Amino acid sequence: MSRRTHARAEELIAEERVEGISQAEREWLAAHIEECMLCADLARQTDQALRSLRTMAIPFPRGLASRTQFRVRLRAQELREREPKRRALWLACGVSWIFGAASAPYVWSLFQWFGQRAGLPKLVWELGFGLWWTIPALFAAAVLLMESSRKGEQADWISQGS
Amino acid sequence: MPGATLFFSTLMSDEARSIARGLEKRDPHLLDRLIERYQYRLFRYLVYVTGNRERAEDFFQETWIRVLERGHQYDGKSKFEAWLFAIARHLVIDWQRSKKPQSLDTLTDPDQEHPLQLANEDDPSPLHQVLSQEQEENVQASLERIPAIYREVLVLRFQEELQIEEMAGVLSVPLSTVKSRLYRGLQALREALRRGPA
Repeated sequence: MSRRTHARAEELIAEERVEGISQAEREWLAAHIEECMLCADLARQTDQALRSLRTMAIPFPRGLASRTQFRVRLRAQELREREPKRRALWLACGVSWIFGAASAPYVWSLFQWFGQRAGLPKLVWELGFGLWWTIPALFAAAVLLMESSRKGEQADWISQGS
Repeated sequence: MPGATLFFSTLMSDEARSIARGLEKRDPHLLDRLIERYQYRLFRYLVYVTGNRERAEDFFQETWIRVLERGHQYDGKSKFEAWLFAIARHLVIDWQRSKKPQSLDTLTDPDQEHPLQLANEDDPSPLHQVLSQEQEENVQASLERIPAIYREVLVLRFQEELQIEEMAGVLSVPLSTVKSRLYRGLQALREALRRGPA
């Protein structure tokens, strides 16, 4: 029997256990193992190794599950308590945005009046209004983006498993 | 036979969806049940990847805290255990990175190795008692010589019986990498058992 035949048999022995082989390959391997003591030994050793791995016992620490359940419940309670605060924060943000949008025409008029009274060029008070309107929004957007990218990084590796 | 397969896969996906719904709501009873149900499998996996029982205990608790906090990210489309192991694995990797910022962790570099410490004389399991002491010691000693990166794939494939695609998700590596690690791990295990205890 050639060295290539043994190498092929060795490959198939491992492949059969790792990802499975076709019916034709299984038949070829069975026929080869019947004739070849070396490959039969290898197949036996592989099965023995996997059997040993499967029956390997790792004692589970006493009380670990109940300690974990207790910690998880505590954490769940903490999260529940934090939930209303977060909701209130979002509500406050929403109200302030609505108020900002609704008051924009009045603020525009105020800037216009002040600009005319102070004799400022139109571009300056328009720019002033633009800054008044956009800077808080940009700041809030930056905070939200930073927060979501931080959450995204965490979510990324967690969702890789699903 | 295909009917039975379809029945079980539908049953499993229904169960996964119901777990996802419960995790979304942070249902404490569901979490209690999941901890009980997966306690041994998760702990065994953590012992294999960390190589240390005490550390595995810490990661066990941290993993379930993460499950509670990030449960809404589990979509129920895959097996819950694959998602659970991915969380546990990333906690271990984060810890290894924070410990050795300049080096790769042991789960990506087989040369950076922690010896496997499985034995716990004070707390023998029923299976522990049934198995002969000699065989047990031989397997333990053999596993100690296998790098964590291979121990991990062996436990996922042959103890947890995850599919290769599911393993690729847990490990965040391509299918070809999973397969090559499995073949090398199998060979390493075979050789380690053949050589016997050191």
